[in-house]
Amino acid sequence: MIKEKNILKRIFISFCGPGKARMLRTSIFCILLSMLFGSLILLLLSKNPLVAYQSLLQGAGVLPKLNYPGKKSQLTGFLNLVDYTTPMIFAALSITIAFKCGLINISVAGTMIFSGILATVLVGYTDLNPVVARSLVVIIGLVSGGLLGGLIGWLKYKFNMNEIVVSIMINYIISYIVSFVINTKFADPISRQSVEIGQNARLNLMNVEMFGLKMNIPLLFPIAIFVVFLIDFLMKKTRFGFELKTVGSNRKASKYAGMNVGKTMIVTMMISGALAGLAGVSYYLGCYGSIQPRVQPSIGFDCIAVSLLGFITPIGCLFASFLVMIFQCGTSYLSSRLGVLREIPSLMTSILLLFSACAFYFQEKADACKIKLLKSRRPKNE
Amino acid sequence: MEETFVEFKNITKTFPGIIANDNISLKIKKGEIFALLGENGAGKSTLMSILFGLYEPDEGEIYINGKEVSITSPLKANKLNIGMVHQHFKLISNQTVAENIILGQEPIKMKWGFLPQVDIEKANKEVEELSKRYNLEVNPTAIIKDLTVSVRQRVEILKMLYRNAELLIFDEPTSILAPQEITSLLEIIKGLRAKGKTIILISHKLDEIKKVADRCAILTKGKLIGEVLDVKTTSIKEMAGLMVGGEVSFVNKKEVIKQGKVVLEVDNLTVENKNHLKVVNNVSFKLHEGEILSIAGVAGNGQTEVADAILNLIPITMGIIKFKGEDISKLSIRERIEKGISYIPEDRQNVGLLMDFPLSDNLVLKNYYKEPYCNKKGILNYSEFKKNGEKLIKNYDIRTSRGNDTIVRSMSGGNQQKAIVAREISMEADLVIFVQPTRGLDIGAEKSIHDRIFDLRKKGKAILLISLELDEVMELADTILVLYNGKIQQNKSADQFTKNEVGEYMMGVHNND
Repeated sequence: MIKEKNILKRIFISFCGPGKARMLRTSIFCILLSMLFGSLILLLLSKNPLVAYQSLLQGAGVLPKLNYPGKKSQLTGFLNLVDYTTPMIFAALSITIAFKCGLINISVAGTMIFSGILATVLVGYTDLNPVVARSLVVIIGLVSGGLLGGLIGWLKYKFNMNEIVVSIMINYIISYIVSFVINTKFADPISRQSVEIGQNARLNLMNVEMFGLKMNIPLLFPIAIFVVFLIDFLMKKTRFGFELKTVGSNRKASKYAGMNVGKTMIVTMMISGALAGLAGVSYYLGCYGSIQPRVQPSIGFDCIAVSLLGFITPIGCLFASFLVMIFQCGTSYLSSRLGVLREIPSLMTSILLLFSACAFYFQEKADACKIKLLKSRRPKNE
Repeated sequence: MEETFVEFKNITKTFPGIIANDNISLKIKKGEIFALLGENGAGKSTLMSILFGLYEPDEGEIYINGKEVSITSPLKANKLNIGMVHQHFKLISNQTVAENIILGQEPIKMKWGFLPQVDIEKANKEVEELSKRYNLEVNPTAIIKDLTVSVRQRVEILKMLYRNAELLIFDEPTSILAPQEITSLLEIIKGLRAKGKTIILISHKLDEIKKVADRCAILTKGKLIGEVLDVKTTSIKEMAGLMVGGEVSFVNKKEVIKQGKVVLEVDNLTVENKNHLKVVNNVSFKLHEGEILSIAGVAGNGQTEVADAILNLIPITMGIIKFKGEDISKLSIRERIEKGISYIPEDRQNVGLLMDFPLSDNLVLKNYYKEPYCNKKGILNYSEFKKNGEKLIKNYDIRTSRGNDTIVRSMSGGNQQKAIVAREISMEADLVIFVQPTRGLDIGAEKSIHDRIFDLRKKGKAILLISLELDEVMELADTILVLYNGKIQQNKSADQFTKNEVGEYMMGVHNND
């Protein structure tokens, strides 16, 4: 019995204990643990967890399904996943960079709506040439988000206003104003959402016929990957990244070292806002084509947990976004195939996010375990 | 009298990368004053924290009155009649003395027979009785923030006595007091012993230990050195020798150096705090090349604010600061650093260092944006960070577990200070400001920092030294400026002062207001 306990402990330590690639190992541990818990729930419902996970992956286009309707295949499923993951990557990066500077930016949801509506109204309903229109959409996303983020940073610096409170308020203000604008001016009488934008401004190529398939190709995805590495480089290798991390770690020491704390915070919030703006345009003008009034996009809040799951690193955000979106995209296939409620898969996502938030706790626990294990071993050798 | 009160048996405590206590066994007798001596990072505070329930030992047992106990929290320590007077007071500054003392053990009365209420009158009476019994004069209804440091310390002691503490641990109690206050504290400690209390005194001031302690143990690098010493039969020099391993020469010979041009000139400097009280009031002085000017004073009389104002860490209300003849009052912090001002801050952990960053990053904290650490495009060159780190670690004897990559938090206080000093001196500034540079450091580290200061003086740098340790001021300074309530009391050459005179000025004895 004692030996068995030790084996479990040793497994735990080998996942979360000190050593190389610790972050990655702990993440994998969190994922496995949440899958274990998910299995328990499924077993309670007397469903086969293996089939469940398989269908989750099939639904998300990672594994092939048994049969597909006409003009669909695993590829279209996977492109769908990529499509929904793109805004999540931007949103998680937005949280990550602000967090590294010691700021908690909850305004991602509001910023997404803000940049979404601006791009929709300014470009979405025009007949500009596709290249011009799409570049304009991206620029509007960057600029509007950056300005909004900069505003929050400025309020924080100038009046020492708590950025969390400000960003929650901004979420509501934007959400209601935009609903008002949509309902009075741009509402589609049938869908009660904003009128769908024209194809020229859409950041996805819709219904492209290729290899006998009908696909949606997300154009911003390669840019998202590029931005992940760009932010990674910015934080690790540049002077600004060093200042950002220093200010995030200790404002007093940064001031003493001669850094311009206020400027660093404002610029960081601008970058964070610009990323949230990109998330907004890729969500509202990519995945969808219209904006639903009075609804704050859930990505704007899920991205906080995704950033944590990715250990608040840009590369981690990339993988974490995919993982979480696999759960979300596979949901409908899973629920229809196994006959479980749609809430069950989202419950599993929540468990995953919950465990990922405990990652640092697991690491600390593993350290303590290791010390105890080493100690219990010592007397035997003597 | 010879009864053992507390016994440590084979206590070992490790932190990642460091053994703080290595197999320590100690017996503390009832009714004695037991001193714990040691360098910084030697493990004194860790050992006492174990006794007070802040840490649990990895190995070993603690016996109290012959019974094995496991102390898992300060609350439990209180129940075992152990009390600790911390180095940094843990008092609520806007409550009264009595409220602070009874906190957690309030006497309760029932209002209208059923509504429980704190019986503040009873508390005031109890505190008054307690303070009379132990000769610790306090006014139970005074608000903490109006009190001086030494009175606050008395409140801390009373807090422990109110909880029936039989064993009182004093963690570096004299480090914040003026000389006259130290004498009275030592009397208080003796008085407590006379009333039958047991006292553990953590200190590295040998003369104080010599004055009050009965026995003393020396810790070095987590280990107990030699036997427990009888203080009466051991000389200060012997103790110091054991502490640092080898004889220490106490006297630094000050060479005569010709002072050069004026480097720093402060004119009518006034600084107000948030409540618009003048914490620095119309202070003027001049500092020359090759001069050590020391600002002496009891803690909180405006010394730190003078230093902060020179670097622009706090805004000034009035006055002009001139550096090498140029008015720098309007410049930013970075511009002032670039002009040639180095600053070793008082709060090394929250201001001087980034505790969770590696050592090499901390050693370039003020230079990271310049060539060769960063090119014109704003890309950092980490191999230069490392080179600089290696150089400074070697030249300034910074001891670490993993060199450049050591996370500063895991280093001992003395080595953290060495890292700051290394960074600031290596910038070759013409004015170096030291605020409390040796606070909490052991004799060895203190001496090495004093040597650095003399070295700078020899090189013709101007040095502004702010220290609460009068001995340090007397030993190093060429000129002494005493501040009381933000005002200059006296400013003259160090050899025209005696230690007691400086002490009197510090206490405001000659204040004309």
